[in-house]
Amino acid sequence: MITLGSQGKNTFLAAVNAKSGSNVLECYQCGKCVSTCPVSHFMDFPPREIMQMIKLGLKNEAYMANSHWFCLTCSACSGRCPREIDIPAVMEAVRHLAIEENYVNDSKKVKEIRKFHEIFLDMVKRYGRNYELRMMAEFNIRTRNLFKDMHLAPKALLKGKIPLGVKPLKSAKAIKRMYEVAERLEKKK
Amino acid sequence: MKKLTYFPGCSAHGTSEEFDSTLKMVLKTLEVQLEEIPDWNCCGATSAHVMTENLAYALPMRNLVLAERLENDTIGIACASCYQRMKVTKVHLDANPELARRINSTIVEEGTYEGKTAVKSMLQFAYEDIGLEMIKSKVTKPLTGLKVACYYGCLLTRPKDITQFDSPEYPMSMDRICEALGATATEFDYKTECCGASFSISNTEVVENLSGKILEMAQESGAHAIVVACPLCQSNLDMRQPDIEKHSGKKYGLPVFYITQLMALAFGYPAGELRFPKHIVPVEGALSNIGKVVPAPEKVKKPTKAVEAESEDN
Repeated sequence: MITLGSQGKNTFLAAVNAKSGSNVLECYQCGKCVSTCPVSHFMDFPPREIMQMIKLGLKNEAYMANSHWFCLTCSACSGRCPREIDIPAVMEAVRHLAIEENYVNDSKKVKEIRKFHEIFLDMVKRYGRNYELRMMAEFNIRTRNLFKDMHLAPKALLKGKIPLGVKPLKSAKAIKRMYEVAERLEKKK
Repeated sequence: MKKLTYFPGCSAHGTSEEFDSTLKMVLKTLEVQLEEIPDWNCCGATSAHVMTENLAYALPMRNLVLAERLENDTIGIACASCYQRMKVTKVHLDANPELARRINSTIVEEGTYEGKTAVKSMLQFAYEDIGLEMIKSKVTKPLTGLKVACYYGCLLTRPKDITQFDSPEYPMSMDRICEALGATATEFDYKTECCGASFSISNTEVVENLSGKILEMAQESGAHAIVVACPLCQSNLDMRQPDIEKHSGKKYGLPVFYITQLMALAFGYPAGELRFPKHIVPVEGALSNIGKVVPAPEKVKKPTKAVEAESEDN
C-alpha cells in the first residue's frame, strides 16, 4: 500500500531527503520546475512527476526514469521553486542511489551519457586533467560511433581549438590515490 | 598591484586557450598579478558530481588546499564550470566540518583544508574587485557601435545561495562591463538559459536544441555578437553554430566572444593578438560595426498626461 506523507514507512523518500538535504514532501506539485526546465521535454518524466514518485515511494520508477540522467544541474528550477526545494540535488540523490544499488537504464541515450561521464573520470584518474580531443575520440570508439562529429574535426584541429598532446600531471599519483580512498569511502557508507 | 590566485581549468589548454591568453593580457593592464595554483588538477566538472559524491568534493578540494598555500585572499577561476564546482565544494565544506574531514582523508599529503581563500569567477572579480571605473579608465579604443548580447549561462550566477553574486534570473554585471568598454548591451531574455553544457559530446541533440534557442533570441535582440565568460558556452554556441544553422534552416552568423577578448580590444591590444582566427564563426562582420555612428534610437512619443479612460455614460 502507498502511504503518502509518512517518512517512517517510505524509506526511499527518507534516503533521498537525507542525501539531498531537501524535503521532497514540501513539493505541492505546482509544476513550475517543469516549465522552467530546459530539458524536461527530453525526459520520460518531468521533474514534478519524479518528485511525486519519491513522495509515493515509487523507487524503481524513479531509478529507471531517464530524468535524473538528463538533468543538467542548471539550477533554473530550484531558483524558482516556491517551496525552495533543491531539485537538482534531489535528481542527483536519485541518480547516486540508482548507481549504488546497481540500477541500469539501458536506453541508448542514457548509456551514452553514462559512458561519457565514465570516460571523463577515467581520463582524470589517468592524467589528473581532462584532454578534450582524447575524450571525444574515446567516446566515439567506446560507443561504436566512429564518425560522430568528425565533420567538425578538420576545422577544429586546423584552428588549433583542440590540442593533440596528452601528458600526465606531476600529481597523477596523488590523483590515483585520491580515487582509491574515495572509492573505499563510498563502499564504507 | 593586486595579487590573485589563478585556476585556469583544463579547457584553458585546449578549446578555450584564447580565453586564458586574453585574460592574462587584460589583467596585466588592470594591474592584477596572477599566481597559478601549482600542479592543479581537473575539478571534475561535470562528470564527478554526476557519478559520485566523494570525488565531486575531493577533486576541487585538492585545488583549494593547494591554493591556500599561496596565501592570496581570492582564487579567480576562468571557466564557469570549474568555478561552480570549486564554489559548491567550498560552501559545503565550510558549512560541514565532518564532510570536510572525511573528504580531506583522500588528499592527506596535500595538507589540511582551512577554507581561508575566497572563490570567485573572473567575471565577479572584474566586477567587484576591479570595478567599472578602473575598467573604463583603461579603455583607449571604445567599442562604440558594437551591439552585444551578454550570455551568462547557468553557472556564473546560479544557484544563488552558492554563487552569492548578481541576479540568478537577469544578471547585469557583464552588460555593465561591456557598456564600460563603449559597446551596447542588448536586452536579451535568454542570458541565463542553459546551452546544454556537458552534453556537447554525449547528447548533441540537446545542445543543438538549447543553443539554437539562445542564438535565435540573441539575433532577435539585435546583437551583432554574443559575449560569454565560459568555455563550454563558447564552444557550444560557436563550434555547433554551423550545424544548428543547417538543421534549423536559419542563418545566425553570430560570433561568440569571450568578454576578455573584447576588453583586450578596447584596451588597445592589436586584434591580431586576440586569437580571432580560432573562432568558427568569423568575427570580422561584427567587429566592422565598431566606430560606426549609431543612429539615435527613435524616441517613442510619451503621452504628456495619463490617457483618460473613455467614459461609459456617453
